[in-house]
Amino acid sequence: MRKTTALLVALLLLGAPASRAQRPASSPTRSHVEFLASDRLEGREAGSPGERLAADYLTAQLARIGARPLPGRADMFMPFEFTAGSRDGGSTVTVTAGAAPARAFSAPRDVRALSFSDDTDLSGPVVFAGYGLVVPESQNVGYDSYAALDVKDKIVVVLRYFPEDADQKLRAVLARYSDLRYKAMAARQRGARALLVVTGPRSPNAGELVPMSFDTALAGSGIPAASVTGAVADALFAAGVGSQRDPTSQRSPDGPPSRTLRDVQQELDSGNPHVAGFDLPGITLALRTSVVRERHTGRNVLAYLPGSAPVATDRPWVVIGAHYDHLGHGDKGTSLASKEEAGGIHHGADDNASGAAAVLAVAETLARSTGPRRRHIAIAFWSAEEIGLIGSNAFVTNPPMPIDRLAAYLNFDMVGRMQDNRLIVQATGTSPIWARLLERANVAAGFDLAVQPDPYQPSDVASFNQAGVPSVMFFTGSHPDYHKPSDTADKINYDDLDRVASLAASLVGSVANLAEAPPFTKVDQPVSRGSMAGVRVTTGTIPDYATEVKGLLLSGVIGGGPAEQAGLMKGDVIVEIAGQTIANIYDYTYALELLRVNQPVTVVYTRGGQRRETQLTPGARR
Amino acid sequence: MATRTGRFLVVALLPAVAALAAQESSPSAAGERDFLSRVRRLTVEGRRAGEGYWSPDGRRLVFQSEREPGNPFYQIYALDFASGDTRRISPGYGKTTCSFFRPGTDQILFASTHHDPRSKTLQQEELDFRASGKERRYAWDYDPEFDLYAFAETSGQYTRLTNARGYDAEGSSSPDGQWIVFSSNRDAYNRTLTAAEQKQLATDPSYFSEIYIMRADGSQQRRLTSVAGYDGGPFFFPDGSRIIWRRFDEQGLIADVWTMKPDGTDARRITDFGAMSWAPYVHPSHQYILFASNKLGFENFDVFMVDMEGRKEPVRVTYADGFDGLPVPSPDGRRLAWTSSRGGGREGQIFLADWNHERALAALRAAPDRKAGSR
Repeated sequence: MRKTTALLVALLLLGAPASRAQRPASSPTRSHVEFLASDRLEGREAGSPGERLAADYLTAQLARIGARPLPGRADMFMPFEFTAGSRDGGSTVTVTAGAAPARAFSAPRDVRALSFSDDTDLSGPVVFAGYGLVVPESQNVGYDSYAALDVKDKIVVVLRYFPEDADQKLRAVLARYSDLRYKAMAARQRGARALLVVTGPRSPNAGELVPMSFDTALAGSGIPAASVTGAVADALFAAGVGSQRDPTSQRSPDGPPSRTLRDVQQELDSGNPHVAGFDLPGITLALRTSVVRERHTGRNVLAYLPGSAPVATDRPWVVIGAHYDHLGHGDKGTSLASKEEAGGIHHGADDNASGAAAVLAVAETLARSTGPRRRHIAIAFWSAEEIGLIGSNAFVTNPPMPIDRLAAYLNFDMVGRMQDNRLIVQATGTSPIWARLLERANVAAGFDLAVQPDPYQPSDVASFNQAGVPSVMFFTGSHPDYHKPSDTADKINYDDLDRVASLAASLVGSVANLAEAPPFTKVDQPVSRGSMAGVRVTTGTIPDYATEVKGLLLSGVIGGGPAEQAGLMKGDVIVEIAGQTIANIYDYTYALELLRVNQPVTVVYTRGGQRRETQLTPGARR
Repeated sequence: MATRTGRFLVVALLPAVAALAAQESSPSAAGERDFLSRVRRLTVEGRRAGEGYWSPDGRRLVFQSEREPGNPFYQIYALDFASGDTRRISPGYGKTTCSFFRPGTDQILFASTHHDPRSKTLQQEELDFRASGKERRYAWDYDPEFDLYAFAETSGQYTRLTNARGYDAEGSSSPDGQWIVFSSNRDAYNRTLTAAEQKQLATDPSYFSEIYIMRADGSQQRRLTSVAGYDGGPFFFPDGSRIIWRRFDEQGLIADVWTMKPDGTDARRITDFGAMSWAPYVHPSHQYILFASNKLGFENFDVFMVDMEGRKEPVRVTYADGFDGLPVPSPDGRRLAWTSSRGGGREGQIFLADWNHERALAALRAAPDRKAGSR
């Protein structure tokens, strides 16, 4: 499963006993998991030799089962190109203030291009635009850092994040628009030539460069953008900041040019929308940005089992799929490895050798069944899921058969660590057919089903929902080895993995034989869904995704983290934090935006039916 | 859920929303593992389902569920464990509740209002009400149109067994298939009520409900109880020797499990939690009674069990927050079907688990004696 946003980075991980006794030999999934999660495949990073080995294994297994390349194809590989990562290619900043000697700064020490930056080599005047925030008029807030500024053809310098001391309500709004991509877009739309970002002295990570975030974009966003250190900011501001042109200043026009960036930030931090930016007179800045994007080729694996005549004319394809890529050695940023484990092979036995093995087992069951099958079964193994659902997106964007020929998609992502007979089935809201078919298939399978309608999941099921295909996804919950090297094959619960495959085979058989293709139902995306863009804190909580409660049920807390220090533990349900009521995980994410590093907040939670309170002190998130 | 459930839902599921907000945690699987294993969710489709009762051979379960577009009320369905197939038993329109297999025959009993010419209008009104976005305080309406029916699976014929004005429902068959016990508030409709009684009928028609017995063809209808307050949910013991049911106090807040002979004599009270204890069912071993109670919290119903005479303290069986009730053991005593809101949301669905009879017996043996003088 992919960590879409840092939401999962910050929140996921579970504390539960791991392995249990497994039955040897006869499991139809075990050998697949053991091979795919073996050291030899080195974590199956998209585009890596390990990924190639895994794909070769999968095609060999498909051939053994009797599956064929898709009609009109010679083999089972469907390659796609993607950006595997980006790094700074040697960006520089040179500051010239009047007659003083130019001061030069460069990557990697003082300058770093933002991952979405255009490459450039330019120079020009500089304007400081506060936090560079623009809130759309529809929000009825009236905050526009550019309201009184002319930035056309200038290099805009802005602060990272959003006003530190604004009241909670305003912060909640501003946080939404503080994403650096959004700030870059706002500057570009006003004619700026480039954007420089500095992390203010009063903010977390003060003066530090912004990490090169993982970005799979093929090209820049239309504007050069870089972060600079506090040293660069000092050079820009030392020459006399805002002395004349700050309209709110009480100072006389010829007063001493003594304000520092800290002073300026402090004024802005009130959140007063009338604190404006200003030109940095006499400064000329030369900027060179360079982002090197690594292009790689990933391979989806696709095959099919033909339907038996007469094949349905109405949507004759059912797709079953699982991603088979994982994190390699975990150096792309979504690893949760501890310092001691860092750089080790991320085996990804549950994530998602288990799903790939389940798909193979389902395919094998279907290939051996002799009954009629009115639809073709396409069998898909996606790559580059972990870095943004890229493989499955490539498929739905450029499908080998028209997308409206697909009757349904069934996804398997992390299905190997079942506990207490609990099978989570997600995205069931995409068609009324799912509840009916699940009920029927589960009479024999006997799972304690947790049915969740929401298709907006951090897995390939989202790609198919987006394409209007009735979709469903199987998941057995997260665990302490999630996105760590310790997600190994010996911890897989093979008995229950086999049962999941058995249930799914029955379900796929039912869908394939439906007289009429299932109707698609669009599920609205929850409006209150928070984004991690504005979240700068970590609370060390691990949410439970399977159990539906009013509030945020914790399936654990991160050892030594703020939640543990606050006395929270597995089974607690957070119902309020910092005065915000929490009904679900989205409310929680939203509330996190309002928290401040090292500022204790009251957390209201329930434990065993008792309502309790504690103080939690959030830590800084990088 | 309904009417063997009747009033409970008012209290149980409606405030479940508030209840969840106040006191949820994940179901404590550990406590349940004493008696229940392989817990699984049996019904998935539709908004709600409940009251699952086994066929005498244990191969099927008949239950009520709201799952078809166009009807916002329960209909009756039978699920086949071998095939997984579910078929509707009731006609598809009107309101239905409380189904039961009649042993030795192809008949399934249930209560229905489908003879009411307003049935489809009422369905539409309810759908329109829901569409308006308004919230209704959930309450079983004790529609006086409810009558008992028998559906013959072979012929597809419905036979109406009662036609008294008033709510006739909550019917179940004797083990030999010859008798039916049920609950009815017909007493409120077949005599002139005092002003106070009329007011009572308007606010709580279940107050007038009493236990009745009749032959399986609807003849020889006879009243067995006559104590003010809701008497309902009667079932025969597996050997037919007695009837178990639940009796409410006049205020309708406290209920207890009672048993009596099929002629209405020798009534004995089994429970005394001072809470809402109801939905009793006798285990096929005749060694204990399963029932539901909100002893642990007004909105938190759990399944309990108690010895046949209520001599010892009841033992808790389920540990999930929200609603767990209507426990029904399989005819072989090795499985348990019950209705639970543990799947999320406020509505119930039917769950199934393997039942550890030996551990249940051991736990009942180990239970302390009930405090003296409480009866």
